[in-house]
Amino acid sequence: MSNNISKISSPLDLIKLREKLSNKTVENGEKQQILVCFGGSCLASGAKEVRDALNAELEQAGMSDKVQLVETGCMGPCVAGPVALVGSDRTFYQSLKAEDAKDIVQSHICGGKRVERLMIADAEGKIPAPCRQDMEFFKRQTQVVLRNCGWIDPANIDDAIANNAYSALSKALTDLGPDGVIEQMKISGLRGRGGAGFPTWLKWNFAKTEKADTRYVLCNADEGDPGAYMDRSVLEGDPHAIIEGMAIAALAIGAEYGYVYVRAEYPLAVERLNIAIDQAREYGLLGNNIMGSDFCFDLEIRMGSGAFVCGEETALISSIEGRRGEPSPRPPFPAEKGLWGKPTVLNNVETFANVPAIILNGGEWYAQIGTDKSKGTKIFALAGAVRNTGLVEVPIGTSLGELIYDIGGGIINDKNFKAAQMGGPSGGCVPRQYLNIPMDYETLKEVGAIMGSGGLIVMDEDTCMVDVARFFLEFIQEESCGKCVPCRTGTRRMLEILERICAGEGELQDIDRLEELGAFINTASLCGLGQTAPNPVLSTIRHFRKEYEQHIIDKHCEAGVCAGLVRAPCISACPCGVDVPGFVSMVGDQRYAEALKLHRERNPFASVCARVCFHTCEDKCRRAQLDEPVSIRAVKRFMVDQEVMVQMPEVRENEKNAQRKIAIIGAGPAGLSCAYFLARLGYKPLVLESEPRPGGMLVQAIPSYRLPREELAREIRMIESIGVTIETDKKLGRDYTLQSLKDDGYEMVYLAIGAPLGVDLDIKGSGSEGVTEAMSFLRQYNIRGSVPVGKKVVVIGGGNAAIDAARTAMRLGSEEVTVIYRRTKEQMPAYAEEIEDALNEGVKLCTLLNPSEFEVEDGHVSGVVCQHMKLGEFDRSGRRRPQGDVEDEPEVIAADQVIVAIGQALDKQIVIKDLDVEFNESGWVKADSRTGATSVPWLFAGGDVSTGPSSVAEAIGAGERAAVEIDSLLTGEEHSFWRGYEDQGAHFDPDAEPLPYAREKLPTIPVDHRRHNFNEVEQPWSEAVALRQAKRCLRCDYGKQPCVSKEV
Amino acid sequence: MINITINSQSIQVPEETSILQAARMINVHIPSLCNIENREAIGACRVCLVEVEGAKTLMASCSTPVKEGMVVHTQSKKARLARRTVVELLLSEHDGNCQTCNRGKDCELRSLAEEMGIGDLPHEGRKIQPHIDDTTPALIRDSAKCIKCRRCVTVCNEIQGVGALFPQGRGFDTFIGPAFCQDLKNVACVQCGQCAAVCPVGAITEKSSTTAIWEAIENPNIHVVVQTAPAIRAALGEEFGYEPGTRVTGKMVAALRRLGFDSVFDTNFSADLTIMEEGTELLTRLKKALVDKEDVALPMFTSCCPAWINFAEFYFPQFLPNISTCKSPQQMFGAVAKSFFAQKIGIKPKDMIVVSVMPCTAKKYEVQRSEMNANGVQDVDYVLTTREFAKMIKEAGLDFCSLPDEEMDAPLGLSSGAADIFANTGGVMEAALRTAYEIVTGRELPVDNLHVAPVAGLEGIKEASIVIENTVDDWKFLEGVELKVAVSHGLGNTRRLLEHIKANKGSYHFVEVMTCPGGCIGGGGQPRYTDDSVRLKRIAGIYAEDEGKKLRKSHENPDIQKLYAEYLGAPLGEKSHHLLHTHYKAKSKTVEDDVDAVAK
Repeated sequence: MSNNISKISSPLDLIKLREKLSNKTVENGEKQQILVCFGGSCLASGAKEVRDALNAELEQAGMSDKVQLVETGCMGPCVAGPVALVGSDRTFYQSLKAEDAKDIVQSHICGGKRVERLMIADAEGKIPAPCRQDMEFFKRQTQVVLRNCGWIDPANIDDAIANNAYSALSKALTDLGPDGVIEQMKISGLRGRGGAGFPTWLKWNFAKTEKADTRYVLCNADEGDPGAYMDRSVLEGDPHAIIEGMAIAALAIGAEYGYVYVRAEYPLAVERLNIAIDQAREYGLLGNNIMGSDFCFDLEIRMGSGAFVCGEETALISSIEGRRGEPSPRPPFPAEKGLWGKPTVLNNVETFANVPAIILNGGEWYAQIGTDKSKGTKIFALAGAVRNTGLVEVPIGTSLGELIYDIGGGIINDKNFKAAQMGGPSGGCVPRQYLNIPMDYETLKEVGAIMGSGGLIVMDEDTCMVDVARFFLEFIQEESCGKCVPCRTGTRRMLEILERICAGEGELQDIDRLEELGAFINTASLCGLGQTAPNPVLSTIRHFRKEYEQHIIDKHCEAGVCAGLVRAPCISACPCGVDVPGFVSMVGDQRYAEALKLHRERNPFASVCARVCFHTCEDKCRRAQLDEPVSIRAVKRFMVDQEVMVQMPEVRENEKNAQRKIAIIGAGPAGLSCAYFLARLGYKPLVLESEPRPGGMLVQAIPSYRLPREELAREIRMIESIGVTIETDKKLGRDYTLQSLKDDGYEMVYLAIGAPLGVDLDIKGSGSEGVTEAMSFLRQYNIRGSVPVGKKVVVIGGGNAAIDAARTAMRLGSEEVTVIYRRTKEQMPAYAEEIEDALNEGVKLCTLLNPSEFEVEDGHVSGVVCQHMKLGEFDRSGRRRPQGDVEDEPEVIAADQVIVAIGQALDKQIVIKDLDVEFNESGWVKADSRTGATSVPWLFAGGDVSTGPSSVAEAIGAGERAAVEIDSLLTGEEHSFWRGYEDQGAHFDPDAEPLPYAREKLPTIPVDHRRHNFNEVEQPWSEAVALRQAKRCLRCDYGKQPCVSKEV
Repeated sequence: MINITINSQSIQVPEETSILQAARMINVHIPSLCNIENREAIGACRVCLVEVEGAKTLMASCSTPVKEGMVVHTQSKKARLARRTVVELLLSEHDGNCQTCNRGKDCELRSLAEEMGIGDLPHEGRKIQPHIDDTTPALIRDSAKCIKCRRCVTVCNEIQGVGALFPQGRGFDTFIGPAFCQDLKNVACVQCGQCAAVCPVGAITEKSSTTAIWEAIENPNIHVVVQTAPAIRAALGEEFGYEPGTRVTGKMVAALRRLGFDSVFDTNFSADLTIMEEGTELLTRLKKALVDKEDVALPMFTSCCPAWINFAEFYFPQFLPNISTCKSPQQMFGAVAKSFFAQKIGIKPKDMIVVSVMPCTAKKYEVQRSEMNANGVQDVDYVLTTREFAKMIKEAGLDFCSLPDEEMDAPLGLSSGAADIFANTGGVMEAALRTAYEIVTGRELPVDNLHVAPVAGLEGIKEASIVIENTVDDWKFLEGVELKVAVSHGLGNTRRLLEHIKANKGSYHFVEVMTCPGGCIGGGGQPRYTDDSVRLKRIAGIYAEDEGKKLRKSHENPDIQKLYAEYLGAPLGEKSHHLLHTHYKAKSKTVEDDVDAVAK
């Protein structure tokens, strides 16, 4: 600010001053600039130290005169703080430390060479966007409200004036007048950004036309939604925008005084706003006869002391008046009777910050941005599990997916997006099937959320939605003013129900109770806070009812969050419920046999799973928050390799059970697991297998370089040895039928025939020679021992079968194997490790390619014609849907063999022809996931036959659940003695620091040693490594006794 | 006028009417808890929710003004179930020990539950944290019973302007109480008990003295004297099913005798005595001011009301010299009973217990004031509120309605109609004027039926003036003086009046203050629930009692004359001064200040 302040006493004065300042800035343009973000987040991560270091370095380099160091407000990309923009091209530097100042000054400022290590690089170390204007994060934004944030020094009014501050006020005073201002506001279509979206001009007009001697303008800066801080950033980064916006509003309605109600938790905002108010007063931009006109307006700050409810307008007014911040009934609305009973306009910070831009550029300009009903831009505070957390301003109507994936950079650790919590405690959760919806007031309301103030918390698969609902309700309970009964007591009762559910003490009626109470509170509460308080609960029930049911019925929290239900997140994540910390810690104690026995309590296929399990346990491992997850599967691999004598499980002989006839169809993981658990209860089930060898997909589809045949055979023998009979070459529909089993006296039948049919690709040329399908290709090799392969093989598909087929073909002598997939590599359903191994072995991967026809020569396939794909909108699974581009030249990949691996199916007409069994929408046998029960009372089903292709562990878990259900139907009692957890007494010191060892992978045999054989690729660890790795476990289970579904 | 439809019935109501008021006009009953008549509705309790066509939510009928064309459904399923859920939720947080609760059947929450047919409680969960505040002699607050309807807050802050009770805390743990979690004795509570009078449940009640009184009655060595305040006789009947305002003086006397009180006297007697003392004091002050040109404190304020004394001591100590030095009728009675009467029947003051039946809770506080012991013992020992008294009658198994009418005992049982009207606002003023005017002019007060109409009724602040003419010789200096008087009831009105007097010196000569709206007939210890319609009926009952008496002026009471002749001498004499007068001292509003004061 210039030292010799002279009042701005006319609009011309303002123009002159701006011109003078702009000229200075032009001069400065020759000077270099370093803009250091002084937003709250960057300050917290050390922006001040960086600024000091830069100052010192500049001085030392003698550059202090030539470089202007500016402390700006928030720039937006808060996760990367402290951040700075350097030089005329605005190079973006992130995660700065004081030590980096030297490099920036010497290399960039003095040497003209950018400091690459401080720039944002992609995974390969490439820097895609060095400058602000090139970065996706900024490029996709439209900054109206944030126009000056990050560009100007908020503590210097000259900086603001040079950037057009108060020009809109000048225009309003000279050209528009009160009616003109309201007219422009009406044209602009601006709606209140506090959340409710009430048309701003209409509110102003109400206050203007109400008869009164005095009117007030209030700014609501009591931002309190968890995760939202856009108002704070504007207050801190561009306070003059708010002062100007309020002054324009005051002019429009005829007010002479205003208050900014800021929460006391924003001391920096208060400080900068105070400075701005003082400076505006000194310039005569606040006070009497502003710019020489008759218009008088002044304002002051009122600090709120942390009551969330004071964001509600009547409560805010009550607080300004010096009373307890509590809402009062509306009507009368503040526009009629507000502060001290006078007509009052109350808007939030973001709304006011829009006003100068609208007045200056015209309402029509503003109305071009956004959607039909929701004009303009909206700031969102991206938080949670998204890579680029921070503030972003986009046109209203931008899709949620664009915000999260394009601007937000996607989900951290490439986890699955689950839902976005929008609008804070009054809002709701938007699940992934709505990633394409435009974010505007109406659409968000339709899906059960609200725009709110723009808080957007991104949640990944590790989030428990019941817990989220509980969290928000707890917040509301603490913040309810306690005035009206529905909010005070109703939300308390809802919270108590949720706490019960999270603790595993819920009952099914609780969901109805929550919905009833929620609907009641919605409609019966006194103020907006109460009326919207149940929304987080109602919206999670609406979109995630299944999760509530899991908590209540299964006593299971899939995300591994609810302490009362989760002994350790890995256990919750395991479809079989294996006591992971139990066996891992026993391995650490070298109690290998006991560890293996513990594993087989819940999952007989320890050795199989040590090799092929999808290990969802590792995805939920809490060690990942420290460094990387425990290598649970590899520890398991070491454990099973120590098995000398076969570890037999506990079997409870039972003469009565032994007499009962139970048939199990299919000797895959589901069928054998069901047989195993039945046998442990004394039953003697019969397993019928259509192929010559038992094992199902484990033997037919999974190649032996992943799962050596003997490992599988050994565990099957163990199952047989406890009383299970397996008959092979017995095919359902050929040798017997479901009805004939029933007629033969089988009381219960478990159908676990998997999804054995491959799916053909129905395009031109698909019938030609050389086109085969992956399931039969793999089965033929694995069972018969040989299969024809071509020289140039193309595999179509992205799942495990595709990769297995590709690697098998490679081993059988193909010269070139290409996998083509219509989506991206990240979206391939095959396990990432398998893809990497395949690539190492020389398999080529072509993604975003979709086969449109096969080229055929002499009846034999000669090539695959592919269309290039692009990612389009999001589908229901939250993945972007690939879309063909017709304009594009198709690509032809030469091939003499094509293996189609695009899915699996069930041949229900042939196998289940004599029984009226219900199927689900996807064509699989309809079976209760908890019990395996089908529509036929004596028939149960589990594994792929009822779910479609899924993981081995899922199938094993389903087999166990069906065994428990069958037994309980036959005996009328629960006998599942293997459920429930005991402390294994492994050594553990809860006070010790976690051991610092890094995660290790299993070693593999060199690629040239595996090309032409089927030797097992993965090799075990040495004992020393295994013990170290096992001890990485943090023992989340230590001292915990969670609820289990059924007491035994 | 505005046209609206309530439950298919079209009506016209004035603008600014609330839906609740409109419904009552056509006898549609909507329950209500937080609402207090003549105060701005706060919409807190939500038991008056109704459905308004076109509204996004249900509307609280108390706080929603009617609008042209509005269509209201009070009995739709949605509205009915919502109101029911509100009450169910209240019951779920409420400490529902109805069997032992002081309110019994008179509990509004219980009635609501019954009206709504609530059988079982669908919502269970944490109850309110219990805290019992029994730190004052007058009141007990039980937070576990409080339903946070805030009637007490409205009364204390808006009607009384005292501000001892506020909502505090947040969420489920919101509670009502003095600021900073203090107990009542640590704040400037005047103990008027209006909070207890409006409380719909048993969360605020008077502190009971019943047990001690039973013990005294049952002790053969103690002579138990009882006095009954003027306001009791027009309200007590309500506890036994009579209409408000029904006079039950005779049955009340009979009941007291049957309860075992040894002497049944009347506070009215000492009300007449008060007029003699206070009237003389006023005339003396006027003489000093007008003749001797002394700087005396005028206007003079009445001193019958202990909560008003408290209020002045806390909030307006500058007016303490203006308050008449007369003790209240209750205390005068105690002082006379334990001296004059005790001597007469030949027992020592310590062997006498004086019990008073009062419409008031502050009287419980007043008897404990340290200066109230003219005879070396407490002037009055125990105070029963009207409600407690009714409970004792019920406990004793008396069939109140069939009791015969009996007369008070002599010599402290006879009173004039002027004493009766002490019960309502304007009454003390009227009684004083009846006597003072006659003393000064030798003629009866020249108003219709002796009633000073401008100071009667429920208007908050009332004033009147009388030009004194044709005075008798002793009072010639008052010739031509326009005597200006004012009356206020409700401490909020009083505060306004005091601010006015502060700003306009010399505006009045004599001011009557009663703490409770309507005066003692609306006291904090009276049968619940008291609204303006009840107040008016009780006032009518009191005036009827006055008009039915042969003696209408205090100075005509022969027993009073006898008391002066035999014992006291003259008004404001030395004996009077000792027995019947007192002094006041400013009080600190916070306990910390008191601690500081002690330390100094």
